[in-house]
Amino acid sequence: MNMFTLRAARRALAVAALLAVQPALSHAGTYTLTVDPVTIDTGDFKKTGIGYNGASPGPVLKFQEGEDVTINVTNNLKEETSIHWHGLILPFQMDGVPDISFPGIAPGETFTYRFPVVQSGTYWFHSHSGFQEPDGAYGAIVITPKKREPFKVDRDYVVQFTDKHPHSGARIMRNLKQAPDYYNREQQTVGDFFSDARKNGLSAALDDRMAWGSMRMMATDIEDVQGFTPLINGKGPDQNWTALFKPGERVRLRFINSSAMTYFDVRIPGLKMTVVAADGNLVQPVPVDEFRIGVAETYDVIVRPQEDKAYTLFAQSMGRTAFARGTLAPRPGMTAPVPDMGDSPLLTMADMGMDHGSMAGMDHSTMQKEDPAEMQGMNHGKTMNHGTMNHDDMKQGTMKQGGMDHSKMPSGGMNHGSMNHGDMKQDTLKQGGMDHGKMPSGGMNHGSMNHGSMQTQDPFYAAGSGLTPTPSEGQGKFLSYSDLKAQRPLYKDREATREIELRLTGNMERYIWSINGVKYEDADPIRLQYGERVRFKFVNETMMTHPMHLHGMWSILDVGAEKWDPVKHTISIAPGTTVYSETEVDATGQWAFHCHLSYHAAAGMFRKIIVEGGPDNTADITPLKGAIQ
Amino acid sequence: MRFASISCAALGALFTAAAPLTALAQTEPLVFYGLQMEQLEYRAGDAGQDLLVWDGDAFVGTDEVRLRWEGNGEYDLNADLFESATNQLSIQVPVSDFWDVKAGIRYDSPDGPDRWHGAVGISGLAPQWIEVDSSLYVSEKGDVSADLDLEYELLLTNYLTLIPSAEMSVAFSSDRERGVGSGLNSAEVGLRLSYDLWDRMLSPYVGVAYERYFGETADFIREEGDEADMFSIVFGARLMF
Amino acid sequence: MRKLNFTLSSMAACLVAATVTLTSFQALSAGSHAGGHGGASAIGEPGDAAKVSRTVEIRMFDNYYEPENITVSKGETVRFKVINAGEFVHEFNIGTTLSHADHQKEMMMMMEHGVLEADKINRDKMKMDMGNGMTMDHSDPNSVLLEPGESAEIIWHFSGDKDLEFACNVPGHYDSGMMGDVRIN
Repeated sequence: MNMFTLRAARRALAVAALLAVQPALSHAGTYTLTVDPVTIDTGDFKKTGIGYNGASPGPVLKFQEGEDVTINVTNNLKEETSIHWHGLILPFQMDGVPDISFPGIAPGETFTYRFPVVQSGTYWFHSHSGFQEPDGAYGAIVITPKKREPFKVDRDYVVQFTDKHPHSGARIMRNLKQAPDYYNREQQTVGDFFSDARKNGLSAALDDRMAWGSMRMMATDIEDVQGFTPLINGKGPDQNWTALFKPGERVRLRFINSSAMTYFDVRIPGLKMTVVAADGNLVQPVPVDEFRIGVAETYDVIVRPQEDKAYTLFAQSMGRTAFARGTLAPRPGMTAPVPDMGDSPLLTMADMGMDHGSMAGMDHSTMQKEDPAEMQGMNHGKTMNHGTMNHDDMKQGTMKQGGMDHSKMPSGGMNHGSMNHGDMKQDTLKQGGMDHGKMPSGGMNHGSMNHGSMQTQDPFYAAGSGLTPTPSEGQGKFLSYSDLKAQRPLYKDREATREIELRLTGNMERYIWSINGVKYEDADPIRLQYGERVRFKFVNETMMTHPMHLHGMWSILDVGAEKWDPVKHTISIAPGTTVYSETEVDATGQWAFHCHLSYHAAAGMFRKIIVEGGPDNTADITPLKGAIQ
Repeated sequence: MRFASISCAALGALFTAAAPLTALAQTEPLVFYGLQMEQLEYRAGDAGQDLLVWDGDAFVGTDEVRLRWEGNGEYDLNADLFESATNQLSIQVPVSDFWDVKAGIRYDSPDGPDRWHGAVGISGLAPQWIEVDSSLYVSEKGDVSADLDLEYELLLTNYLTLIPSAEMSVAFSSDRERGVGSGLNSAEVGLRLSYDLWDRMLSPYVGVAYERYFGETADFIREEGDEADMFSIVFGARLMF
Repeated sequence: MRKLNFTLSSMAACLVAATVTLTSFQALSAGSHAGGHGGASAIGEPGDAAKVSRTVEIRMFDNYYEPENITVSKGETVRFKVINAGEFVHEFNIGTTLSHADHQKEMMMMMEHGVLEADKINRDKMKMDMGNGMTMDHSDPNSVLLEPGESAEIIWHFSGDKDLEFACNVPGHYDSGMMGDVRIN
């Protein structure tokens, strides 16, 4: 008998004893998962892969908050496997990361996971071994809360995105190592050069290509891995996954991005979506027209289709190389028009963290004495006078103020005076995230300000970034991280006890990804003390977007909402930006912390975190190697 | 044929050393491998020459160190003999973001007496995406020579690529037995139009190549009754595994 | 310019029965409120306290009402005692789907301009000139907007015969289900 079953037996006895006294208090469920070789049919191609209970994606596991779950996982593969319960708060030995939380599950073995379910919401599970996750080893978790939810829904659907590729994960990794642009079929061509030259002039086009060429980086380097078919709950665009509704009903869609590498921009033309949860935790409801879901994130949205017609659920990849498509319909078989994908975006020098080169065209008046290098994250303190600012002659991308943070303006006014934004084109106003939300008092006089077609800049993208999301339908609201505010904060807001800087680093040409320039295999673990509140400072020095996932403990994303800062498990950091998250270190043990892009994690953007101390000091921090036979 | 057995053995060593990829949380360095044939082509020369030409490399190793095989040669289909065949085996390590250095041995087999060389070189990506590979050699006879390969890929579309290339070799002393004169002894420029037919695994191409021998080397060739320059039309395929 | 008075009694101050008299200002989009859509008679009008037939207590939680639906008789005058028992700002607004949709846009603007925060109402900012002669005042006879702990009353005469909705138009709340039907018999 192994250690886990022994411990579990003891716990089961204790639970049984409790049950005898208070039978109504506890709920325990037993679940069975087999890890199987499966065939995945995307509609575009068929591919052998890995699934659960004979299918990929695996089943939706439905738990209840407060339940003690027992999950028996049998490995029917010829290789070691593991299951990580993404976003669940549990004892570290149950977290399912080989070599960190447990030794893994050998072929033919059954491993029993046992843990109490202490949360509710939408989560997912996946293998943490090799490239089994990109090969299909994932499923969804839905946990019913104890308390009434702050909304009403009539129907509830899981919408799990994946990016199924005809190549196996191992092969993709090897190809990327051999030729990092192996899968990039959106590179700039001779034709693109001439069209740029016609549009911007020959010398501008040449300068642009020379600038990228001198860095040996590609403006098109947004999706490392292209050529996949996006799936919704295992169904390709032509297989058209369909959710049924009756007009007037409120439908909750639980979006999960279980892709290996792909971010999606999600919309349902004709329907407003109200975002009510992010990464399983409730957020104050935000009505949006579109949102971007990073790899490993989850969002719950509520839609209320009023008409007796079909609506297309359209999710195009951030690089616009492929789309997932499903349908919401009153009756099966109905379809609605499928929109065209937008043009592929291009990275800009702002995404390279080099956005200060073209500041000459802007008159900052009193700001000019500032060192341009320090202008990112500029804090305007008490007052800000835009009065003399002339934006008239601005061309695309000439004004790049970095992330101006107005949120802390304690008092005093903000006078936009005679600011004329009239001639500005979309994206030309790049003021970083002007957050006016928190001005506690004092007036804001927009005077004769003419906003024209001004779009508010998302502060979670570099000012001038080519990746800044804009509504695909031309207008409407695109969700930003800064819109996310916790509905029920899990922790009291307090000052962090210390800050840890994590520079996200890499070398695209060698396909090496690292943290602070060090790959996982060469890195020491990050040691945290139980009871501290750590502030992580993520500085993205690469041109890729990285969804950073901390296991075992929550990441409180700093959106400037203080006590309402949203609580997440995965934080996406766009190129050229600095993002902060705070973690209440409340879980002893050792945990994984990594970029959730499969091939970035495998290439080294990964850390082990060791939490020392804590009430359960008896917990052996070394993984239970050899505990199962 | 010794060259063949040497390159087979080298490749075999490369691929058997390649371990499978395992955990996502990798505490041991990942080992990768790959094989690329930049040129594998038939050349029809302007004086009726029929040649089979190859130029490729393979590697196995980690981010920190790789074992690399490079091989190139020409086979004369009319005369049914190898004009040249070179195999080089190096240890290659990165020295900067875009540059590696390598050190190893080169073996020149047919066409005259075989020669062993010690080799050191650099390999990498110059600004503006120019692929550079250059080595310095010292033969077992003490002759010093060097070569330089440059290649650029101009994307006409994301599948159709125009590839200009240039190679040159210089000898710092002559090795008459192998027909090598001192100074700039040969240069080749090429222009190939390639189409990615199957991923990047198979990319057939057509193109032109112009080779020219210079100085003493050209004289040696003329003495043998051959042309010192050749313009050819080429058909072939790039391969990547 | 419409004028009205109503009483806001804070839960905290209920012992002293603090009475606040609010004076209406010109609303952001004048005329789009009570009586804006479908005419005043469609949703009814402020009622006479003397004619109140019953009192309905509405408790507002995060983000739902108890009760979730109301049934009234045509012509009935009802006193609504509205209590914000949640931790966020909530509204009780009697109207139609359309009038709510319009009002949601205004509330969104209030949120964007800091007049409205998740858990507080900056009433001083409501009176602020937006630079175009408009303010973001929120005072309509068919609605109350309450901070956590506050309570208020609305006396309403249901003169129409079409079913109505009561709703919270704080951004996101209506859409996620903080609304209920007023069924008129």
